[in-house]
Amino acid sequence: MHILVDFLATTAVANMTIGNLLMLVVGMIFISLAIRKDYEPLLLVPIGFGCIVGNIPSIASMAVGVYDQGSVLSYIYFGVSQGIFPPLIFLGIGAMTDFSTMLSSPRLVLLGAAAQMGIFLTLIGALYLGFSPAEAGAIGIIGGADGPTAIFLAAKLAPHLLGAIAIAAYSYMALVPVIQPPIMKLLTTRKERLIRMKPPREVSQREKIIFPIVAFLICALIAPASVGLIGMLFFGNLLKESTVTERLANTARTALIDIVTILLGFSVGCSTQAQTFLTPESILIFGLGALSFAVATACGVLFAKFMNLFSKNKINPLVGAAGVSAVPDSARVVQMIGQQEDPNNYLLMHAMAPNVAGVIGSAVGAGILWSVLVG
Amino acid sequence: MQAISFSFNYQNIIAGEGFQLAFAGMTIVFTALVLVSIFIALLPKVLVVLNRLIPEVHHHTAAPKQRETSDETAIAAAIGFALHTQQQPR
Repeated sequence: MHILVDFLATTAVANMTIGNLLMLVVGMIFISLAIRKDYEPLLLVPIGFGCIVGNIPSIASMAVGVYDQGSVLSYIYFGVSQGIFPPLIFLGIGAMTDFSTMLSSPRLVLLGAAAQMGIFLTLIGALYLGFSPAEAGAIGIIGGADGPTAIFLAAKLAPHLLGAIAIAAYSYMALVPVIQPPIMKLLTTRKERLIRMKPPREVSQREKIIFPIVAFLICALIAPASVGLIGMLFFGNLLKESTVTERLANTARTALIDIVTILLGFSVGCSTQAQTFLTPESILIFGLGALSFAVATACGVLFAKFMNLFSKNKINPLVGAAGVSAVPDSARVVQMIGQQEDPNNYLLMHAMAPNVAGVIGSAVGAGILWSVLVG
Repeated sequence: MQAISFSFNYQNIIAGEGFQLAFAGMTIVFTALVLVSIFIALLPKVLVVLNRLIPEVHHHTAAPKQRETSDETAIAAAIGFALHTQQQPR
């Protein structure tokens, strides 16, 4: 009989806390948002289910959870905690990305830089709230709107905040269609939203091949700490554009990125154990994350308006909102808002330029913060 | 998990050199992307010279470009056109 009693005491039901229950609900909400609202399903389903798995209480003497040394989940989480998965995701993103629109409109690259203001203003906000400089840097990168970059930097600067930062970054990326439109409408007039931009020029294959090599050299020479992310991004792009490594590019943009996304999303979800995740710091991180997204969007839009002061060919300021690097969601939002005013105005291609520039900008920003704040 | 003691204070920003960090960070990000932008703007001009010095080569190792349309699409379009022409009032 005592064996049965002992066993019952080890069940998850007996060890379940209110916090675990709450996180189970959060996991289910994530899955529901992904399935019902189609918000970043490739990420929210693995994260949501991981959240459920990670919040099943385990026996103290058994290695089951991501934080238990030797557990299966801890080996998967190793790729997150050591920053291995984010560069692999960047490889896949590079192999998917077509830089043509950026190559045809070099001035739109600046919008990708302007939107990175969200990173550094959030860093100031996090410092004000009492976070250490390293923690503030890791939180600020949420404003880069780039999940892999946020995970990469958090793993390096503030591993104890990694779960909260990763969940905040991916949640807000999923909520781009909710967060950005009101800010975009608030900061632009109808006349500005109706601006039509010149169609992008055709870009030669040679330009596409040379670009990843030289752009990598520029970024890496300025911020060498970003080599892991930027290097993989441009390497993936070179595989795509060189035309002689189509098999490798195809693997990077399909099987490889899918496998890594599954492992990353699931293990990040598993890391949200209530005992480590439900803390006042997490609430502050979520608040700062929302603020950083809003600031990044606003900075992109305002910088586009600023550029229009000196430009003959006007930029539709909505395009500036795509400077946050949530690819391609923020570009899609730009297209959607633009077409609400003029159904025949196609801004998607123009918005992709600052969008991919934002990916480069946030990776460079992460490299700077890592090199300045580490240790 | 490390315990964080919160003290909402402007002095935290000063102590953490927040403004300097933000200014330096934005300057470096802008520098990197301005240089990338300048490079992109110059690239077509550089290529005019480069193409003269090293002409483009087309070699067999490159994977053939995928056809935009399949034969089925072309056949379906031809059938559609034929039907449309036939049904026009004479």
